Amino acid sequence: MPNNNKIPRNMYDTIIIGAGCAGLGAAMYAGRLNLKTLMIGDNIGGTIALTDVVENYPGFIRLTGQELADNLRKHAEDYNIEKAEAKVTKIRIEHGCFFVETNENKTYETKTIIFATGTEWRKLNIPGEAEFANKGVHYCALCDGVIYKGKTVAVVGGGDSAAKEALLMSQYANKVYILVRGDKLRGEPINNDRVAANQKIEVITKASGKQIVGNKIVTGIVLDKTVNGSTTLKLDAVFVAIGHIALSQLVKEIGVKTNEKGEVIIDHQSKTNISGFFAAGDVTDTDFKQAITGVSEGVTAAHSAYTYINENEFVCPMGNEDLMVKVRKRKK
Amino acid sequence: MVKSEHTTKSKKSTNVKIYTTTTCPWCMKTKEFLKAHNVKYQEVNVGEDEKARNEMFEKSGQFGVPVTDVNGTIIVGYDKEALKKALAL
Repeated sequence: MPNNNKIPRNMYDTIIIGAGCAGLGAAMYAGRLNLKTLMIGDNIGGTIALTDVVENYPGFIRLTGQELADNLRKHAEDYNIEKAEAKVTKIRIEHGCFFVETNENKTYETKTIIFATGTEWRKLNIPGEAEFANKGVHYCALCDGVIYKGKTVAVVGGGDSAAKEALLMSQYANKVYILVRGDKLRGEPINNDRVAANQKIEVITKASGKQIVGNKIVTGIVLDKTVNGSTTLKLDAVFVAIGHIALSQLVKEIGVKTNEKGEVIIDHQSKTNISGFFAAGDVTDTDFKQAITGVSEGVTAAHSAYTYINENEFVCPMGNEDLMVKVRKRKK
Repeated sequence: MVKSEHTTKSKKSTNVKIYTTTTCPWCMKTKEFLKAHNVKYQEVNVGEDEKARNEMFEKSGQFGVPVTDVNGTIIVGYDKEALKKALAL
């Protein structure tokens, strides 16, 4: 006879979607709290692995992004968690629980979700950008920068990421321009100082790219101002570092609230407007997005999921115990 | 040309060449994938080797790494599904 208190045998306490800093932090803590945990991500380690040097993660004076990603992964794996290297294609909510579908045609069921998908690079959306993608237009200096050894390149962007990309590129290129739309470079002071002291780097302010030009490969960028007597700046490559876009399309479909930038709105417990659905990291609406803040939100989300599970009962309808789950508030 | 060769036991006789840079995380993931499936490969570092860089561009028409050449099938980036298909895994 079906037991109406039975939990479906393959049901997870929490599924973490995303395997970057926030997801790995959440996985470590969920494992530590003995939650039956599955972490799904098509890029275990996340975008921090694309950062050359990390100097602002407490406890580590200086390490590479890859080393930090590896450390976070090993720490999470030290607990009893499951991982799936896959891409989530759909999330469904039924009877207060969640179903997660992947590109490997698998469906997982869970009491809670920790959403930590992160971001993707924002594009310039100017003519030539798509045409010359990877033919001189790049988004990762750590990956492709060394190819431009001895060349002239530009980094487009006005924030700390642009400053760091330019500093990395100065190790390879002979000349690095930073094209800033605003009136000054807005990196962290330590990186602004490094840029100012670097003989290879030249910051051009109040400059916007209008078109990337080339012949099979990039030869320059057309600006909205004159530089060195021309509106076309001759280059071998353009590295784009103008920020990121939240990867939140999956949650919009299930009614999770996002702000005008598409970032998932969370509170101090990493809760969203949907019960049992938590979010962490760069995909959220927090202002300051760093590896350490993402990890913090992930850990908080894991604890909130643990609390939520303990405060609610998960029971199966009669005769359908492997498929359907209802949730109700636990009696105190 | 700077070369290195992964020499673990291989079940495959496929000719695989991977174009990488030293610091590229996607290159590392691609190599881990090949090793996990016991695929023997030749690696060339396009950050150090201009000839290899030009060869990669001739094959793929672009400068992004990694590029994997599986018996003439060119795969740009870390693309597990494309690798599985090309390697018949």
